[in-house]
Amino acid sequence: MSNKFSRRDFLKLTGVGAATTAILTGCGPASRYVKREPYMQMPEYNYNGLSTFYATTCRECAAGCGLIVRTSQGRAIKTEGNANNPLNLGKTCARGQATLHGLYNPDRVTDPMKGDSKITWDEATQVVADALKNNKPEEIAFLMGTAPDHLFDFVSDLANAAGINVPVRFNALSMFESRATLSKAAENLFGKTGLPFFDVGGAQIVLSFGANFLETWLSPVSYTRGFAGLREAQTKMRGKFVQFEATMSSTAGKADEWIPLKPGTEAMVALAIGKLAAEMKGVSASAFEGANPEDAAKKSGIKLEALEHIAEMFAHSGGALAIPGGAALGQSNGLAVAEAVLALNALADNFGKVGGVYISALAPMQTEYHGPASAQEMQDFIKNMADGKFKVLFVHGVNPVFELPAALGFKAALKGVGQVISFSTFPDETAAEANYVFPDHHGLESWGYQRVATGAAQPVLSGAQPVVSPFYNTRATIDLLLAAGQIAGGKFALTFKDEVEFLQSKVAPLMNEADGFFSAPDINTFMASFQQYGGWWKTTDGRTVPAAADVLNKSMSGAESKFAGEGEFFFVPFVSPTLAEAGANKPWLQELPDPTTTVMWNTWVAMNPKTAEEMGIEDDDVVRIVSEFGELEVPVYKYPAIRPDTIAIPFGQGHTAYGRYAENRGVNPTDLLGQNFNEAGDLAFAGVKVKIEKTGKKKPLSRLESIMGVYGVGMGEEH
Amino acid sequence: MSDKKAHSHEEHLREKHLMLDPLPRGKMNEMVMEAMMEPPTWKFWLIFGFLSIVVAYGLFYSWARLIMEGVGLAGVNRPIYWGIFLVNTVFWIGISHAGTFISAILRVFKAEFRRPFTRAAELMTTFGLVQAGFSIFMHLGRVWLAYWLMPYPNQRMLWPNLHSPLTWDLLAITTYLLSSTMYLFLPLIPDVAMARDRSTGWRKTFYKILALGFRGTEGEWAHLRNGMNIFAFAIIPVMFSVHTIVSWDFAAATRPGWNSTIFGPYFIVGALHSGMGAAIAVLAVIRGTMKHMKYFIRGEHFDAIGKLMLIISMAWAYFFFNDYMVQWYGGDKWTQLLLHFHEAGPMGWMWFGMLICNIAVPWAILWNQKWRSTPWLVATVGIIINVGMWFERYIIIPVSLSINRMPFTWRMYQPGIEIPLGIGTLAFFILLYMAASKLIPLIPVWEVQEGQMAHEFKKFGRETVVSVSELE
Amino acid sequence: MIRPEEIKMSSEETGKWGMVIDQDICTGCQACVAACAMENNVTFVGEVDSGYGRSMHWIRIERFWEGEYPEVKMTPNQPMLCQQCGHATCEPVCPAFATVHSQSEQLNLQVYNRCVGTRYCANNCPYQVRSFNWRDYERPEPLPNQFNPDVTVRRRGVMEKCTFCIQRIHKAQDKAKSEGREVVDGEFTTACAQACPASAITFGRIDNPESLVSQLGHRSHGVKHLEELGTLPNITYYKGG
Repeated sequence: MSNKFSRRDFLKLTGVGAATTAILTGCGPASRYVKREPYMQMPEYNYNGLSTFYATTCRECAAGCGLIVRTSQGRAIKTEGNANNPLNLGKTCARGQATLHGLYNPDRVTDPMKGDSKITWDEATQVVADALKNNKPEEIAFLMGTAPDHLFDFVSDLANAAGINVPVRFNALSMFESRATLSKAAENLFGKTGLPFFDVGGAQIVLSFGANFLETWLSPVSYTRGFAGLREAQTKMRGKFVQFEATMSSTAGKADEWIPLKPGTEAMVALAIGKLAAEMKGVSASAFEGANPEDAAKKSGIKLEALEHIAEMFAHSGGALAIPGGAALGQSNGLAVAEAVLALNALADNFGKVGGVYISALAPMQTEYHGPASAQEMQDFIKNMADGKFKVLFVHGVNPVFELPAALGFKAALKGVGQVISFSTFPDETAAEANYVFPDHHGLESWGYQRVATGAAQPVLSGAQPVVSPFYNTRATIDLLLAAGQIAGGKFALTFKDEVEFLQSKVAPLMNEADGFFSAPDINTFMASFQQYGGWWKTTDGRTVPAAADVLNKSMSGAESKFAGEGEFFFVPFVSPTLAEAGANKPWLQELPDPTTTVMWNTWVAMNPKTAEEMGIEDDDVVRIVSEFGELEVPVYKYPAIRPDTIAIPFGQGHTAYGRYAENRGVNPTDLLGQNFNEAGDLAFAGVKVKIEKTGKKKPLSRLESIMGVYGVGMGEEH
Repeated sequence: MSDKKAHSHEEHLREKHLMLDPLPRGKMNEMVMEAMMEPPTWKFWLIFGFLSIVVAYGLFYSWARLIMEGVGLAGVNRPIYWGIFLVNTVFWIGISHAGTFISAILRVFKAEFRRPFTRAAELMTTFGLVQAGFSIFMHLGRVWLAYWLMPYPNQRMLWPNLHSPLTWDLLAITTYLLSSTMYLFLPLIPDVAMARDRSTGWRKTFYKILALGFRGTEGEWAHLRNGMNIFAFAIIPVMFSVHTIVSWDFAAATRPGWNSTIFGPYFIVGALHSGMGAAIAVLAVIRGTMKHMKYFIRGEHFDAIGKLMLIISMAWAYFFFNDYMVQWYGGDKWTQLLLHFHEAGPMGWMWFGMLICNIAVPWAILWNQKWRSTPWLVATVGIIINVGMWFERYIIIPVSLSINRMPFTWRMYQPGIEIPLGIGTLAFFILLYMAASKLIPLIPVWEVQEGQMAHEFKKFGRETVVSVSELE
Repeated sequence: MIRPEEIKMSSEETGKWGMVIDQDICTGCQACVAACAMENNVTFVGEVDSGYGRSMHWIRIERFWEGEYPEVKMTPNQPMLCQQCGHATCEPVCPAFATVHSQSEQLNLQVYNRCVGTRYCANNCPYQVRSFNWRDYERPEPLPNQFNPDVTVRRRGVMEKCTFCIQRIHKAQDKAKSEGREVVDGEFTTACAQACPASAITFGRIDNPESLVSQLGHRSHGVKHLEELGTLPNITYYKGG
């Protein structure tokens, strides 16, 4: 029985028996893959139409959803959600579907590169070895993506062993999610750090302050399932959903009531609702005492009756829930907003209850919450780079040149680093600036695991395995670091034979944990099940209940936030729900219409039609938007659901590298942002005011919708 | 005095009416031969060469690109799946109608003024249908498989779908093309026989083949007349059916604005409207450019066709109004939106342009007999009517397709490669005419002579009266 | 499990396969659109053509606006795909029999290799859900490795549309047949329904009263689009709210 045969037969979802383990152990690295064959040359044990399915983890964002990938003749054909994985229960978002366009992207980095020339992996290994050996440990830095995955664990171990800097995790999504603010607020109020989890599905009324949880926020697939549960009207009352946001995001589009409050007044409004609701409930809560509903109504532009109505619903509902997130937290007073909104939950007394607030379960092999770096921490990191404190910088899984606001100066700071080594799979902006690119496999070609930070009730470790053999001459970063470590010697020489051995050593302790979804007597059997089911998770709820005791007695501030810049418009950047930070090079993601504007393949600025009319601006007119930190030119979309004093631009386009489908398309709204942080260190991305200037240019936006049919443009006067 | 008066009256009639102004047969044959054989001038070659280039680029090169790269080169999209190609198809089929109408209907009803220009009209039918065929094949996404639309025996027993109006359409157009070609050919036989006897070289061979050995015996004439009579009667229903069926392509669909029961006659009248306009323009050109043609084609002919045009314009206006009213009062919300879009939407100028070209201009000019008899003026009106009728089809197809029951998909249409291809078909139409004018007698000599033989002046007392005898 | 005696005789009126779409929970996230494109080898057309109404989506999510700011509302997202009409307007107009009704599955089939591209069916489809291959859109290597080998790749000049993932239907039927049983409700589903994070799309046998889709479909306030045209659509929508 050949090695190829063993993998093929034994790792597919159906049928992993005890007998397989012995054979599996004997497999060398080469036997991990099914060879890619032309469909014309079918091996005799296969015939057309028979597919092999592999369980793995989606790497398109940090949520860590489980995937089942259908493969045929060594090609990945289709991704589906892994129905076993408690995070996504068989579902995927659009980006998970399009991950195959990343795998088979025509613009991948095919070989290890030194500048523009290809080198061999031996040379590359030597380069990494030299970089590790010839620099002081504190001069070596790792910058990685948000996902807390096996590579992060490996580099952390390496950092522990060799004394290099601990790896820093960062990603534009965590920046726009304001994760640091959320966890900081939880820490302030509950005395315990961690990501709050909001049980939308069990609630009866949800007040969301800027949290775009149906788009990209934290764990969109899981929260969308929660939303479906909220609306489920068969077994309970149909839950109500109110969104407070200056512009109607696609999440707000699903709300029963969209409250376009003035940016910066979120904390004030939350406290005012708290005060009104507390009065209705007859609860005394000093947290809300400073609030003045009339004043809040006036300043936020919400009618007082509306506030009272919402407060009444909130006070009298059996399952009230309030969620802080997104642009509401990305302001100078973001922390106060998060605390005020969390305090509403204390008023609703929903901590640890169905439809309430929990602290997310810590993933297996995790003892405490470890969040990604905030933008302010990134600024410190950049300062270290610029000051020449780092001689070598390894970048993996993040594209900071694109994702960080240009004004923070990451690109310029790279010049202060002696050697920049990127492990990017794609020729992104950071790879373009790097001295070396040593491409990692695509996620679907890789081993690994990913801890699920939030979204599932139980602790989840999503497992990844290669579903196809690597398409190009790429190498797993761990394998490269291991080999380089051997050459560098000393503390860098870790004892693992390869990446898989490292993984096995990591997941081995789980065999003995109680309440596991499966257990096994030995590591080989355990690994086989780990691969078969796409990870390991507990069967028990791992969420913890926030300490509610004195939340209502904390003092809260409802002061308006401060805005940077002089302009007359509030500026709300938001993450494109279809592209997110790394989707722009996948052609089918580009062709997906945005859920709110249906624009494809480009960036737009959403302006209220009345404002546009007053300024003499039409659809598709290119305007120049100027902030304190930068400017950009972008075509206008007259968006009927945005405050007249606010504009919004999606984040996701504006690449200068990153392959043919992404390059020179649209603009990057982070160009308008800069050193402007909130108390938790998150970027105050919604705390900037901007000016709008006409340019006289036009750039027609590609829309799926008909301007005529939807807006009546060109239908004659009466329509 | 009265004799003189009678004489001048006779002169007057002679001058006015071709049928009363006979020439010896030999002389007339010679005139027609001369008009045909006249060596082409440099102007002719210049226009011919220019049109050839237009055809080569506009029709053949552009079409090749269209086939190689796909219909995406045209302006069609969702929801406007049909564009100018089908506008042109309907337009050319419309033009081809007048040929048969003039030739067959006027022949059946023995309208004497028809005689000198039946040939020119029949040529218009055939040449117009060729352009219509081109246009509909351009429209197809995979034209190399167009034969699948034809019923032909095949192993898989796959037949075209007889439920589809497009299948009826294709069958009707094919039938029409074949029958109109035969109907063009039959009356041509005596004339090519005449040409055969008066030419030498390759022309003699050419005409010999075309004439099928016609010698002009009594028996041959009897057979020919029988054949022509059968065709003249048979082709009339074919002609009516063709444009009715073209209208069914639209009327049988479920689209707002198309689903109209009056589309059949409305399309026929529309076809005659544009066809008459085209016919008169062709006649004016022939009269103006070819030798001896001022003898054959006179003011009376423009006058007669002008009257027909006026009547047809009125009929078209009636049907248009009828169609509009029925749809408007139907009250369907999508149809009402569409009708509103026609006049108030971005293509509203075209809708008003259509009404001006098709109604206002002909009514303003054709009521006056003097104006009606002025060739250049009537020809201009004819061309304007054709512009109007092209607008009408444009409004029915791409403009109406903009609006459907899914407002999310409404779009506008911007033509692309349709423009060179459309110009190419027009150039090819003219080119075919130019070639025909040099190859076959454009005037059916025998028919004119037959008419002249039948007409004579008779005196009843002092009055000179025209009498026409039945020849057959 | 569908027992044969429970299944009414399939006819055009009852249909066989059907869908229920809950617009109240559809978030418009486009996962179904991406899933459909990946499953069915639907091509992307680029910025210019997609802006000109030539995108090839087999399923699109429509949304409109009601009211004016600040009382403006986004109407419930409406995924629009082939309604697999029992009495389809696209079928009779095709001169080449390229769009035909499947007697066994009660679906509207599009026979790509019979299509000559008259586009009549697309004109006559009141739902405007048919996509035409206006060009041979470029999918540079190695993107074609992703193609689903069960689904034909279409060339220029051919009409295409949602098939209710007929390749999945057949696969499930073949599997059930080889195991000597009937297809179980929920054993398989279409790509869009499988991806949908909100589970807003439910697919199954509507001629089996036990199936989930039938039970959802029998709730009171379902809507069938443009039913008044007599098309007998097989998709039921719930607007909710």
